[in-house]
Amino acid sequence: MPLEWLNPYHLQVASFMLINAILGVSIYVTLSTGQLSLGNAGFMGIGAYTAALLSTQHHVPIPVGILAGSFLSGAAGILVGIPSLRLSGVYLAIATLGFGEVLRAVLINWESLTGGAVGVAAIPQMGRVTLAWASDRGFSPGSLGLQSNQFISLTVFLILLLCTILTVAFFLRLTRSRVGRAYAAIRLDESAAAAAGIPITYYKVLAFSQGAMLSGLAGALFAHSTSFVSPADFTYHRAVEILVFAVFGGSEHIFGPVFGAAFLTVVPEALRSISDYRYILYGLLLVLTMVFRPQGVIDSALMRRFRRSGKGAPA
Amino acid sequence: MFLEQLINGITLGSIYAIVALGYTLVFGVLDIINMAHGEIFMFGAFVGLLIVSKAGAPLPVAFLGAIVVTAAMGFLLERFALRPLRGRAGASHLASLISTIGVSILLENLAHKLFGAGNHLFETPFAEISFTVGPVTVYLVQVVILLISLLLMAGLALWLSRTRAGKALRATAENLETAGLLGVDTNRMITATVVIASAMGGVAGVLVGMAFNYINNQIGLSMGLKGLAIIIFGGMGSVYGAMAGGLILGLSETFVVAYGSSGYRDAIAFVAIILILLIRPQGLFGQAPAEARR
Repeated sequence: MPLEWLNPYHLQVASFMLINAILGVSIYVTLSTGQLSLGNAGFMGIGAYTAALLSTQHHVPIPVGILAGSFLSGAAGILVGIPSLRLSGVYLAIATLGFGEVLRAVLINWESLTGGAVGVAAIPQMGRVTLAWASDRGFSPGSLGLQSNQFISLTVFLILLLCTILTVAFFLRLTRSRVGRAYAAIRLDESAAAAAGIPITYYKVLAFSQGAMLSGLAGALFAHSTSFVSPADFTYHRAVEILVFAVFGGSEHIFGPVFGAAFLTVVPEALRSISDYRYILYGLLLVLTMVFRPQGVIDSALMRRFRRSGKGAPA
Repeated sequence: MFLEQLINGITLGSIYAIVALGYTLVFGVLDIINMAHGEIFMFGAFVGLLIVSKAGAPLPVAFLGAIVVTAAMGFLLERFALRPLRGRAGASHLASLISTIGVSILLENLAHKLFGAGNHLFETPFAEISFTVGPVTVYLVQVVILLISLLLMAGLALWLSRTRAGKALRATAENLETAGLLGVDTNRMITATVVIASAMGGVAGVLVGMAFNYINNQIGLSMGLKGLAIIIFGGMGSVYGAMAGGLILGLSETFVVAYGSSGYRDAIAFVAIILILLIRPQGLFGQAPAEARR
């Protein structure tokens, strides 16, 4: 009997939720050193286009393409990050916004490589490729009680879930490491952190390129999930969307942006009538969050309370 | 050819300068980048369009209508998105930036709902009138735009340097607390600044409609980003920097399009800021180094 409840549409929404969660973490990492980057949509574009072009034009295996996209994006993050270090606060936000816009102009105008405004189509889709690979070895999704489109969507979802869990686990671990403590120190007081002997430049560039690399990863995964990318996917709106995930969810704890991304992906899908007003809602949400709860829905105090009630007795 | 391009560049540049002035006024007083300025400007353009094309009223009425609507929007912006964040413990310096980004997204998509996504034709009664001076053709629209921009800039410079209110505003910009101690009603000065900046955005919106003959709900974003680029280029909070930066950007865009490639036109502004930030982070006319003004 086929598993009826595994609806490809629901799986797709869940997949976007996971990609958005990775994007949310990408801006959280840079924010955790107190830097606001609005260039993550651009880095996402680098990752997506690298993966897409490598697999469509050079027939590179998908995992290699995804890794290449992430690392190229991370390298771009270093290149953008070093000059941007001379900037802080709003200057950095606008310079990175500028980077995103320049990148988009390049994507549109470098037609011989990127296909211009039309974008890149027919990118191998992770689920389909897996199915083809498994079928060659005599596997049929029917043996699991699945139809092939269910199998495809489920595969994409599981791959993304694995990537998201690894990402969150890595950065959860990182916050408790030397690096994470350095980030927190820089965010709290840059001068004090420098006086305490923390190499500010190194850690800020590190955080910046980690964020860029994660955005690139999300972009590459996005390309291989939707099998189509165009410059319109990586506009200023995407950058703002990523920002909303972190701001609404909260940028004090890594679960903040993950929650923000999940919540803000599901709600407009669940309430169709809202999805028309999605960006109006985003705008309101940004203002209201800043006015009433500037630290976002999930903050450190809330996380502590969770942990305490989990353990039973307060520590 | 060259002279005509020069005139085109100066016309475009003077509009850019006015957009940038809106940003620089608010930044000078509040140390806030008002990301919603571009969208307020866009609403000014639409109000002007509705008055001129739909109601058939003359141009001065359009300017007046745009000023009234955008000034009101500036007031609401200050009251509901900026004031609640001011002086609040725990609100980071990014809070107001994010809050105004929220307003900008809200307004852009509101315009999408109200006016649709397509281009709207902005007809001015004297769009076709031109006269020839030697080898050069000049359109009356360009002259009008230039005159209005110059008047506006001169008026602002005079107001800031000569009047009592202008002095109070400069004092507030210099130091909010001290100005308050010396008897300046700083809350009122801040509101006034945001309202004046927004009204200038409204005027600029109508000017852009006249210059480009069409508007859509995206112009707020594209012009807004250019305005931001200009104030970084000219120096944050510097009035003369905004004017000079606007002219430089207008001229360089026009000449790149005329003698180079039009595809990268919108990227010029950002290449310029990335360069200026590397060479002279405080901008052309900026005084304090970027590090000190956080």
